[in-house]
Amino acid sequence: MTAQSRVDAQTNLIVRVHMIWRILFALLAAGTVYMMWTTAAETSLWQKIVLSLTAVAAAGFSVYGGVQISKRNHVGRMTSLVLDYLGFVACFVFALNVGEFFIGIDALGQTFGKGLPYLGITILGYFLGALEEYFPGKKKSPESSLKVVSRWVMIGGFILFLWQVDAVKGVIYFLGKLAQPTGLIAIVGLVIFGLSLWSLNRTNISLALNTKTGHEQIINGWLFLSPNLIGFLIFFAGPLLLSFYFSFTDSDAIRTPNWVGFENYAKILNIKFVTLDSPDQLARDVVDIKIYDEVGRFTFGNTGILFAAADKFFWLALRNTLTFVLFVVPLSVIPALVLSNILNSKLPGMKFYRAVYFMPSIAAVVGISLVWQWLYNATIGYINYFITLGIEFWNNLFNVAVVDPKIQWVSDEKTALFAIIIIAAWQTMGFNTVLFLAGLQNIPGELYEAATVDGAGAWDKFWGITLPMLAPTTFYVVSTTTIQAMQVFEQVFILMNPPEGPNNSTITLVLYLYRSGFQNFQQGYASAIAWVLFIVIFGLTLIQFQRQRRSSIYES
Amino acid sequence: MNMKSYRFIRFLSNLGVYFVLTFFALIMLFPFFYMLSTSFKIPADTFRYPPRMLPRDPVTIQVDGYEEPLPLYFVEVDGVRKEYALAKSNIKVGIYAPADDQTNSVERFLSEVKPTGGVMNQQKVTVNGEEVKLFDVEVDGQVIPMILVEQTTVGEFIDPQNPEAEPVFQNVRLSEPVENVSWHPENYKEVIELNNLGRALTNTTLVTVLVVLGQLVTSVFGGYAFARLKFPGRDTVFVFYLGTIMIPFVMLIVPLYQLMVLIGWTDHLASLVIPWIFTAYGTFLMRQHFITFPKEIEEAALLDGASRFAILKDIIIPASVPALATQATFTFLYAWNSFIWPLVIINVGNEKNHVLTLALNVLRGRASDTPNLILAGAAIAIVPPLIVFILGQRFFVESVAGSGVKG
Repeated sequence: MTAQSRVDAQTNLIVRVHMIWRILFALLAAGTVYMMWTTAAETSLWQKIVLSLTAVAAAGFSVYGGVQISKRNHVGRMTSLVLDYLGFVACFVFALNVGEFFIGIDALGQTFGKGLPYLGITILGYFLGALEEYFPGKKKSPESSLKVVSRWVMIGGFILFLWQVDAVKGVIYFLGKLAQPTGLIAIVGLVIFGLSLWSLNRTNISLALNTKTGHEQIINGWLFLSPNLIGFLIFFAGPLLLSFYFSFTDSDAIRTPNWVGFENYAKILNIKFVTLDSPDQLARDVVDIKIYDEVGRFTFGNTGILFAAADKFFWLALRNTLTFVLFVVPLSVIPALVLSNILNSKLPGMKFYRAVYFMPSIAAVVGISLVWQWLYNATIGYINYFITLGIEFWNNLFNVAVVDPKIQWVSDEKTALFAIIIIAAWQTMGFNTVLFLAGLQNIPGELYEAATVDGAGAWDKFWGITLPMLAPTTFYVVSTTTIQAMQVFEQVFILMNPPEGPNNSTITLVLYLYRSGFQNFQQGYASAIAWVLFIVIFGLTLIQFQRQRRSSIYES
Repeated sequence: MNMKSYRFIRFLSNLGVYFVLTFFALIMLFPFFYMLSTSFKIPADTFRYPPRMLPRDPVTIQVDGYEEPLPLYFVEVDGVRKEYALAKSNIKVGIYAPADDQTNSVERFLSEVKPTGGVMNQQKVTVNGEEVKLFDVEVDGQVIPMILVEQTTVGEFIDPQNPEAEPVFQNVRLSEPVENVSWHPENYKEVIELNNLGRALTNTTLVTVLVVLGQLVTSVFGGYAFARLKFPGRDTVFVFYLGTIMIPFVMLIVPLYQLMVLIGWTDHLASLVIPWIFTAYGTFLMRQHFITFPKEIEEAALLDGASRFAILKDIIIPASVPALATQATFTFLYAWNSFIWPLVIINVGNEKNHVLTLALNVLRGRASDTPNLILAGAAIAIVPPLIVFILGQRFFVESVAGSGVKG
């Protein structure tokens, strides 16, 4: 036997072990499915289905991988890599969970405050190292004294930080929890999957399985994407599908949800228009009030139309939300357009104003709403004070007697929604200004020069050049503002007491969704509201997109 | 001459520009000023009308013969405004007038006036069909029986320099107190220690730091894979990512809640951290950045035998600090300011896991009679992002601007 053939024999053996491992893996997965359906575990049907499908798929792929490995096909290696990697990640997350790593973030919250100053020192150390970049004149040795100091400050600061947050205690607790049977299973899994991955990546095995050079990039690509993709599937795409499923059930977050078909949607969309004999005819005379509630009526002369719906709150919320959008969008876009044109002048200090205008949009909406709540206070608030001052000034100037309205901003159903509109417009205006400003700075100056030569005035330039050239930015600004405004919730929730406002005047779609889903726990119904909201938002964006496209075609 | 007038018009128009800009800047800044100034006030000062910007305290003075320091008020003595100390308040004063001529009234202390005919047998007079008691009131040395028209209270004001001198009596509520500007930073101490804002601040910082770091890691890797590595399925996944960017978060709130119930993370900070680490938007932004990075440098490094990970760590990340800072700032603001998700997932009673927005929501209900505390809490939530914004302004504003142009 030559050395070469001994190596070949060893490689063959390892490949065979991989084949056996694939079969074993498939059996384990199949066994899990069997166990799940035979024992009465406390899992709901959809969880069982999802888990079984995953396990069956894993088993199937594992068998396929084993067959391909036996054929020495590179597909076998790839399949194995994917399965073992996913298994490794699952075991890792499971181990963290058993060790109460995720729950442990709470405990960290308790001690984190003590450690913060030391974390600050660590960050300071980093900046110390970065400081070196600002002294390019000096000759850079590989390890300048500043770098060394910086590194030691960082290490020292971080160790002190760990000490302050009781990291040692945490690690001991973690290991103690891991020592349970479930934790040990996770560790065994980690070792097996890890070994398999390591072995598959060794040169002789990958050569034996006919790996090609391009495979490296494919593996790297999926590997780099995987943390993001796995999390995205679990915490975004999966829930999105689940939301769609829930919208067809009567889910209440506790019991197993029952399939109800289109019932939720039917209830939302169940509306009725009835002509009235007289403008003040009672709703119960014209509609079945066991099903319908009056949402509103439009009266003209001697007759009118009554608008009734099975779920009047949804339609009130829709009305309020659309009214809100209808006001907030122009109130935050038009001043922003004007201000950005002013800011675009080359005068000194424009960056300062730009920063100031931007400030409201970064402040927490909850905090901002609390501030405005006191500004809106009817007796001591600044807004009514300014109105009083203005009216006094006006009265003195023209010798008239305009009566001070003393507006009850948040407790009057006529002004409540408008109070919210003002806050939102105030908060988004600066953001939009910055967006417009960027759009303006991208318009080539030659256009204006050419227009000046042709004798166009400032106004002509604005209508003829600025607005058409700004159309893409305007589309972006209007659609993002609309999407944001459609989701108004925090201002209403904080400012209004109760959040629905006087006579439901500030109930919004997201507020209603929150109320249905998390106060009445009709989570299936709340999901249906979410999808209707999405369709409305999508529709509005689509309309704006169509308009923008048409206008840009027209311009060209 | 022509040039001169042109310059003058230019000057005027620039003045107008600054006027408009400053006007809007004041509108933008006023709520912040109001928040900060109110947060340093005492509760009584916050309820004063007309409202005032600077926080003020009533001035007190130690006067001989009084144990407690006395509050100072402005008092008009012989047509001169003087600062007098309030020695005694709630002194009852009656306004008396003869029954037949009620316009001719005099003011006397209740204690100085005796009932006409004695306490036991007080004389009465009928006015407008009602019996009214009569009192002996001394006017210019003469005792006249009068009826009590009205009763008020006054305060006794004394000259602090000369406490023995004749005191001045006047209505306390209508007198203007002497006040000086004084700031009360202890409001912050109170909300932090007594209203759970301290723990909430720590929790918010922790959650924000974890979300920012986690999101940077996953989006850097994901963005790099999308931008630079060729693998089957990449473009499909990327289109899928792009498609979900428009989907608003409220769509996920119900199923994500149930997922958290399933995993057992409700009421735990983990639910505020882990789901937020993986975002399509952040990955998209990173991909957009990496795609502008020159390919040649990378290819040279690959030829030298560097691994993809080494290239990312040693070449690409150091060159991408501005883009990373931008995304970190975005994520910071989003994580710091989020409200609806913590509201849903963290129980109101579980105060040890509250984040700032939740603590503010509780404080709003609990401290409705002390706006100074509420606004101190609001300032704690609002000021750190403002500082981050001022530090990261250059990156941040430019990049927000950039997203608009591309979109």
